[in-house]
Amino acid sequence: MKKRIAVIIPAYNEEPSIGSVIKEVGELGDDYDAIVINDNSTDRTSEKAAMEGAIIINLPYNLGIGGAVQTGFKYAFMKGYDICVQVDGDGQHPPNEIPKLLAPLFEDGIDIIIGSRFSETTKYSITFMRGLGIKILSLFLKLTTGLNIKDPTSGFRAINRRVLELFSKHYPQDYPEPESLVFAYKQHLTIKEVPVNMSERMYGESSITPVRAAYYMVKVLIAMFIDLFKKY
Amino acid sequence: MLQMQLLIGFISIVFFVIIFEFIRKRYLREEYAILWLATSFAIAILSLWPGLIDIVSRVTGFYYITAVLILIFLFVIAILMHYSIVISKLKDVNKELVQKCALLELRIYDLENKR
Repeated sequence: MKKRIAVIIPAYNEEPSIGSVIKEVGELGDDYDAIVINDNSTDRTSEKAAMEGAIIINLPYNLGIGGAVQTGFKYAFMKGYDICVQVDGDGQHPPNEIPKLLAPLFEDGIDIIIGSRFSETTKYSITFMRGLGIKILSLFLKLTTGLNIKDPTSGFRAINRRVLELFSKHYPQDYPEPESLVFAYKQHLTIKEVPVNMSERMYGESSITPVRAAYYMVKVLIAMFIDLFKKY
Repeated sequence: MLQMQLLIGFISIVFFVIIFEFIRKRYLREEYAILWLATSFAIAILSLWPGLIDIVSRVTGFYYITAVLILIFLFVIAILMHYSIVISKLKDVNKELVQKCALLELRIYDLENKR
């Protein structure tokens, strides 16, 4: 029997890129459904997504990435999907890389697969500060949980139905990517990282200054530390 | 001393009237109203019985003004913490509501379009 795969795409003002992301998901085959969670965009993201025939969930106000992604999990779980893949709406995660994420999910029965931008073949370049931040988060994870994840901030992920059920009930809202890894560790889920190609952001500049980046890092580390002791 | 007593008494009455008005106009829910009514009551007691602070400062070993300040400070901190918890809970419940609302809206759309 064919597995049904939900590709959830959180999108906030991604009008220029959302169409092509959905189109590329469609090219993967009819077992893939593109589900866009429009996080109260002020541009025509929703209309663009509708034109490409995606399933669209419109949030009545801006929930942020964590809340938006969780809405997608809830929908995918409710609709009985077997696998859920998370792809950014800004075009940095090429949908044709999704099969790479699914292979270990099917073959090795891993619960969570993370698409990492750090591989020998990657063309993706990041700023020094961002790279340092990711290294610190990665080291923190390694020291506290023993997980070996090079790119804990990557939002390019695939999960099985068991995780889908968990995440639709509990999903960190503040810094969902790194925090969900701590949560997954505490739930004894298996996690694997797979190298994938990522493209540069299609448009727009990241607005993070070094000071704000450092402040962000501290907040994420504190959140992750507290997550280690949280009860669910 | 008497002046101060009168001033604190006056403050407690004004405070009480304001709280009473807020409850009457339903700006405040009862559970919070009780907290604030108790506060205005506590201020009133202090104005009627200034010796209470002496007793408190003797028992705790704080000097007069410091004792009052620390008590007020702790009280304000407790209230702020209480509000942080309330706001966090509200935000969480609100998120669940918004998600459910969006999912139901999609369901209506699907039902209307027989998808």
